Amino acid sequence: MPRLVIDDLQIEVPEGTKVIEAAERLGIMIPRFCYHKALGSAGACRMCAVKFIHGPFKGLQMSCMIDAQDGMVVSTTDEEAVAFRRQVIEWLMMNHPHDCPVCDEGGQCLLQDETVSGGHGLRRYPGRKRTYHDQYLGEFIAHEMNRCIHCYRCSRFYQDFAGYRDLGPMQIANRVYFGRFRDGPLESPFAGNLVDICPTGVYTDRSSRYKARRWDLQRVPFLCIHCSLGCSTVASARYREVVRIEARFNESVNGHFICDRGRFAYPYANLADRPRRARVDGEDASLAEAVRAASGRLDQISMNAGPDAVALVASDRCSLETLAVLKRISREKGWRHPAVFPRPDLEHKTRRAVSRLDRRLAVSMRELESADFILAVGIDPVHEAPMLALALRQAFREDAGIVVMDPRPVSAPFDFDHVAIAPAEIGGCLSRITEALSALQADSAAQGKETRRPEAAGPLRADLDSRIAGIVERLRGSRNPVIVCGTDIVRDSTPDRAADLARLLLQLKARPCLFFVLPGPNSFGAVLLAESPGRSFSDVVQDIEQGKVKALLVVESDPFKNFPDRERLERALDRLDLLAAMDYLPTSVVGRAHIVLPTCTVFECGGSFINQEGRVQRVEPVHEGGIPVHQVSGGGHPPRVFSHEVPGGEIEAAWRTALEVAGYTNARDNLSILKIMAEEHPGFARCRDIPTSRSFRVLPDAGDRPPVCEETGDRAAPEAADTLEVVLVDRFFGTEELSGYSPVIQNADSEPLVFLHVRDAEPLGIAHSDWISIALEGGGLEVRAGVSAQMAEGVLVIPRHRLLEWQKLGPVPAQIPFGRISRAGKE
Amino acid sequence: MLPQVLFQNRKPRRIATMEEYCRSGGYRVLEDIARGKYSPADICRIVGEAGLRGRGGAGFPAATKWMSVPVDGAYPRYLAANADEMEPGTFKDRMLIHVDPHTLIEGMIIAGYAISASKAFFFIRPSYDSSAMILERELERARQAGYLGDNILGSDYSFDIILHRSGGRYICGEATALLNALMGKRPNPMKPPPYPTVKGLWNRPTVVNNVETLANLPHILRNGPEWYKGLARTKTGAGTKLFCISGKVNRPGCVELPIGTPLREILEEHAGGMRAGSEFKACLPGGASTRYLTKDLLDVEMDFDSLSAVGHRLGTAAITVFDQKTCLVGVTLNLLQFFARESCGWCTPCREGLPYIRDLLWRIENGEGREEYIPMLRQMSRDVWNAYCALAPGAASPVESLLTFFEDEVREHIRLKKCPFSRPR
Repeated sequence: MPRLVIDDLQIEVPEGTKVIEAAERLGIMIPRFCYHKALGSAGACRMCAVKFIHGPFKGLQMSCMIDAQDGMVVSTTDEEAVAFRRQVIEWLMMNHPHDCPVCDEGGQCLLQDETVSGGHGLRRYPGRKRTYHDQYLGEFIAHEMNRCIHCYRCSRFYQDFAGYRDLGPMQIANRVYFGRFRDGPLESPFAGNLVDICPTGVYTDRSSRYKARRWDLQRVPFLCIHCSLGCSTVASARYREVVRIEARFNESVNGHFICDRGRFAYPYANLADRPRRARVDGEDASLAEAVRAASGRLDQISMNAGPDAVALVASDRCSLETLAVLKRISREKGWRHPAVFPRPDLEHKTRRAVSRLDRRLAVSMRELESADFILAVGIDPVHEAPMLALALRQAFREDAGIVVMDPRPVSAPFDFDHVAIAPAEIGGCLSRITEALSALQADSAAQGKETRRPEAAGPLRADLDSRIAGIVERLRGSRNPVIVCGTDIVRDSTPDRAADLARLLLQLKARPCLFFVLPGPNSFGAVLLAESPGRSFSDVVQDIEQGKVKALLVVESDPFKNFPDRERLERALDRLDLLAAMDYLPTSVVGRAHIVLPTCTVFECGGSFINQEGRVQRVEPVHEGGIPVHQVSGGGHPPRVFSHEVPGGEIEAAWRTALEVAGYTNARDNLSILKIMAEEHPGFARCRDIPTSRSFRVLPDAGDRPPVCEETGDRAAPEAADTLEVVLVDRFFGTEELSGYSPVIQNADSEPLVFLHVRDAEPLGIAHSDWISIALEGGGLEVRAGVSAQMAEGVLVIPRHRLLEWQKLGPVPAQIPFGRISRAGKE
Repeated sequence: MLPQVLFQNRKPRRIATMEEYCRSGGYRVLEDIARGKYSPADICRIVGEAGLRGRGGAGFPAATKWMSVPVDGAYPRYLAANADEMEPGTFKDRMLIHVDPHTLIEGMIIAGYAISASKAFFFIRPSYDSSAMILERELERARQAGYLGDNILGSDYSFDIILHRSGGRYICGEATALLNALMGKRPNPMKPPPYPTVKGLWNRPTVVNNVETLANLPHILRNGPEWYKGLARTKTGAGTKLFCISGKVNRPGCVELPIGTPLREILEEHAGGMRAGSEFKACLPGGASTRYLTKDLLDVEMDFDSLSAVGHRLGTAAITVFDQKTCLVGVTLNLLQFFARESCGWCTPCREGLPYIRDLLWRIENGEGREEYIPMLRQMSRDVWNAYCALAPGAASPVESLLTFFEDEVREHIRLKKCPFSRPR
């Protein structure tokens, strides 16, 4: 490890560390624009010049371009270096518009900071400034090219790091322009990161434009809850309104970046129609009154019809605190344990995935980036866990091979082999891979001895054989393979089969190799707290229909979003004696509930969540809650409200309200919630000791033994050739619940397409982007079709998009006969 | 008559044919290679002994560059012939193509063999379209004659040359930028390591040579390194050089002369002396990115080492001559307009510094100059040396030498608030 001296301080750094990085470890921040830890060195801005006094390099050199070496003596404050950096700043500011007063970057602008610190105060350049036209880059990002200092960070991120091509440098010399070929929304779902990495205000967040200066903001290290990955963010609020989400570096989870869903979903917390007042039977009430009413009626029903007539419904967007409290009160009251998952299969798969994950197997997203072969099954990374796609791309950039086994027309910012097979076939393929691999291993372990080759797990298409053999070979030849497994579209036993394969790989390669993607931000936590076997919401509906359940307490959950039969759900809810809803979203259930108990968003009350690799992450609130000042101030500037109380300030975290509803009056402080959590699951005891900025994994040292040949009665592939299997899927925008309420995302979202294979579409006379109608018992569904050759045959891929009434499809999974699909006349 | 090597088949108003080239001994080296007379290592050794230095401007020894291809380097390997000739005042590559294209083609095959490349790219600027058409035609003839393609002349060596018309920018002449351009990327230079000879085109070992360098190879191998060294007039030099002479001389043009021919002799004998009424004031000895060379150095020998000993560079050996009636501020402004336009836009000193210098020069030339611009120009022409590649330092050379040798002329502009060379209105 090279030892060097920077500004008279000695440091030893790993081989390959750049001098600029070595200096940073000493706390010396060498000025820079183009250098970025994730994007590496470029040598473009020339701002990081330092003086090399001794060693293999001499004189003025760029500290981002030179690896630290033994014997180097470096001065960052040398007069020549300082003078040169001052000159660079002058050059960079020649054409800058000096529009800081109206620039959103002002106050958090690297260019501003370094102009001042570099000592370039007075303008000498007598010439005119160069100007550019700005482009419309979509709903998320504002473009102001005149501010550009040409550090190339945007194009290096957008093209090299993230793998999208529609934004980049054009022209040469001092006319270099960063933008698109023509105006239009940026195609990358990671484009929001341009705002974070741009060292000045070329790319700014449109959703927070002109809302605040950095120093006005209440900024808190935060957590993204818009998929199961749990990326780190920074949330900022002002005037009781969340105004901006930025990425926060997390060395285990997301690295430096986040996706656009995570960045622009936040406006759900600021909605004007968010439930802010408690309601009892349609009348506004104080929270205390509503709590008393709910408590009384629930107790009444418990007494009259038995506590089993009260059911709780939660969801995986509930915090761990809320889920723990619901578990506690349901047990103590004898109420039904909260149903968290909308479908039984989702509950089953999540439970299997969680139980199979252990300390030796689990791979973090950042570790995934160093894999050399990745087999991803039943997952469409960009849509289900967007940052996973970026992690896979980093592995791909380091020459990792990637195979995606999935029926969807998967598109991702990296090259991969797509094995497009129906969901029913995935598990079988995995088993065959496992068997072939273990047979090969047995062969080599017992050479010469007669070995038994296991039978193929089931009949599979012949053309798959060679592809499976190829995957087996690549798994064998790789040093660090990883299995990525989704839980949404796969069959019930697939997570187990993925875990079996991972277990075998762990034996062979002695490296962690399993990465599950779960349905939601707290699915992991929900499973840890669930009773076994758990009940899903569809069981609850059945019990309502049979009159066994008379009261429903729905906590931060919207059954209408996920339940496949809307009319049946409506009928069932109408039968209830009491429907009480606790939520911060204006959901359909809130609209029809007898008692509404508004709750705080995670921005207002914080909370703990467990991501898909078992990482418990806890965040503090960003602001105290209450109705945003803008919504109650009548439009004055600056906005203000003259009152002793915070309007809407009585709302509390769901777990507090839930405790009150259950009659706990003295267990509402933070200490008692940590106690309740620890009592409900021993793994959460550590929450008490862990500061909110740290995370820990709740994983056993060794997971469940594999269920030996457990056949869970997976639904087989459709036999009938005249039907299409419906595969309901998530989309980057439009299917995730919270972001679906964000107006900025609604504006940016595109029309949902229903995909089918070109060979399935041709006989029906359907071409890409035709309108088709799907005739069903519950009415027709008219939708635009996407036709692709890069997907499995025999499936109809339908996004659970908020603009699509997919709930009309009835109980899913379903088969749709070809005869019910036709071209619609609509143009 | 001085020995003509590269131009030995030069014909008035037409291109030497392949037959003429063969009659003069052409493709004989290739036949020897096909017979197994030379191994790639032999060629590297002979060219190394001959002391052939790169003719593109930097003067890097050609054999040393070839030998930096790792012995165990990956295949396929590539050769790129750099004919992106855009240095102001330089037109030797074009002359070479129009005089005797096959000496170039054979040279490329030899270089390709020396580095075990299987494919070469002839990277030519789009404004040389007539040259590109000549090459396309002659490459096809060479292919039909069996000099190019699979199993050249029955040997097991296969090699082909692909002509690539570039998008056409000055920076494409920079070797690493050229490779980026060939791969369809932006022509931004890339700082080594890795060197292109280790990881070049598509991460394979790639050698980039100037076309004049390549054209020397058949002659070196045919006549031996001693002969080649003997061509030069200085001890440190080797071979001949194509000099492009322009400016206020009687016979501007491209002449082949022994390396080390004194500047005075080139101008007076081979360029026909200064025009009537013109007096030598200064010249750029090696293209626009070299320093102005003044009268007192007229006797310098035009060789890489002799020029660098007096603080100058041979560059591309394009000599542009200015007389006493030429405003050098105007000349420098003209050059900076070129360089500022041709910056690739990657690094700050080049992208922003050159237009800044250009602006100050424009003001001085047009009567808006101020005394404080002189130290600013001086400092900036030093600071742009910290640019990413050699473009900006090259562009700064005329500026720096203008201020060194002709500061009085610059001050005169500022004092008079106009260009002293302009005609009175």
